[in-house]
Amino acid sequence: MSLLQRLQQTNYNTIAISAGADISYSQLIAQALQLRQQYPALQHQAIALSYTDLNTFTCALLAFDGWCSSLYLLPDNDLQLPEQVIRWPQNTTATTVTPTAEPTRWYLATSGTTGTPKWIAHSFTSLSRAAKTSAQSTALRWALCYQPTRFAGLQVLLQSLLSGAVITDCSSSDTQQRINLMQQHTITAISATPSLWRQLLMTGQLSTLPLQQITLGGEIADQPLLDTLAALFPASRLLHIYASTEAGVGFAVADKHAGFPVSWLNQCHSDLFLKIDANQHLWLKPPQLPDTRLASAVDSDGYLDSGDLVAIVQDRVIFLGRASGVINVGGNKVHPEQVEQVLLQHPAVHQAKVYGKTSSVLGQLVIADIVADSSNDSKTLQVLLLQHCQQQLERYQWPARFNIVSNLATNATGKLSRKADVKEAHE
Amino acid sequence: MELEHTIRQTLEQVAMIANCQLIDNITDDTVLLQSGLDSLGFAMLVAQLEEDLGIDPFSQMQIAVYPRTFAEFVSVYRQALAGGNQNQ
Repeated sequence: MSLLQRLQQTNYNTIAISAGADISYSQLIAQALQLRQQYPALQHQAIALSYTDLNTFTCALLAFDGWCSSLYLLPDNDLQLPEQVIRWPQNTTATTVTPTAEPTRWYLATSGTTGTPKWIAHSFTSLSRAAKTSAQSTALRWALCYQPTRFAGLQVLLQSLLSGAVITDCSSSDTQQRINLMQQHTITAISATPSLWRQLLMTGQLSTLPLQQITLGGEIADQPLLDTLAALFPASRLLHIYASTEAGVGFAVADKHAGFPVSWLNQCHSDLFLKIDANQHLWLKPPQLPDTRLASAVDSDGYLDSGDLVAIVQDRVIFLGRASGVINVGGNKVHPEQVEQVLLQHPAVHQAKVYGKTSSVLGQLVIADIVADSSNDSKTLQVLLLQHCQQQLERYQWPARFNIVSNLATNATGKLSRKADVKEAHE
Repeated sequence: MELEHTIRQTLEQVAMIANCQLIDNITDDTVLLQSGLDSLGFAMLVAQLEEDLGIDPFSQMQIAVYPRTFAEFVSVYRQALAGGNQNQ
């Protein structure tokens, strides 16, 4: 069943999106049907959607799921698309295709292992599996804090729509503005990264919201933050989510403790089997693989390596970070190799090693160890390297510190040793 | 006063690294989120103070405290330093 069919069937008689003007579920459905009439040529085509506003984006999802062969959700417009994909609404010239009765495939971009984003196919069924419907969830008023073109944001949007709740776009770069929006719309449910929760707490106004549902995702949730939120909202449901975009699955932990219970290993939990290998990697076995191209990455028992490092501490499985050394700065993934390449372009830099350092504010920060020639003193060099990074990298990729060192350790194969800083991530 | 001076100096230094434009007059009542420092700048400030002062009070708390104003921020460090000394 498509998203539109699901909403037609449930026939919620309430507001779906609260923005300048409220939009009801029946209005959303009517607008989606109108879109299909407006773009008959897009039927069975592969199209790409980018995010402009919540109403337009949601209508497009409703209209084109179950209508087009594929939906590519563009997190930014520079991302490369396969040749036959049509960008909606800019370009709607269709090519002739043979109609198929296959359900629409939803493509979401992941940052991949090399930093080059790749598209992973999902089905609406797999994406909506986590959505819960109950009288309690129908009454919620959600704040959308992530881009809905990414896995986490899409999960929030689908949860709100499928449960008949209200959702408001509360994304803003300014935390005070976010809180103001949340207050204006009497938000009762928020899903955000731990870093964003810390910023919301810093406004001193979070407690003015009548929160019933608190969700943390996109970064490792730490115990002090969970305790703070639990103390502030003792009656609310507090979840932290683990999700693997690549495996197209995730699970929620509701007991207000960091990590997840050891008892979940080696048995089915939330439709998912979990195991840990000798290298401390967490492996997942989803009910079905979202993308057939992943088949080669699956072991003989059907498990997929999540690439997440974990450790067992007493009766909990605790997350330590990414095995690849990918740094998570407030939910933004930074590939150390990419930053190293940029640093190595600078004429004064002989060697560079980039890694993450635990931050109590943003989860992790980027640190660079540099072997440089002696033509500049370390202060000047730091300024030069900063300017260089500012020109070449996104803000969250900038090193927070440059350590000028005399040499860097390499491993037996001559590569920089990039063992994840397990001890530090664990602390 | 010495602690506040160190924090102010580090704040200036970090604002430069993080490419943040601080507001002109940061007083006790300045709301941190409105000081011109964004979340990355704030994370860098806490990391640099850990280097300079040897503590990160935010990572050591059982129940995390989130300061709203500059004075509250300084006070978190003052208390953490005092508590640390008592324990030793």
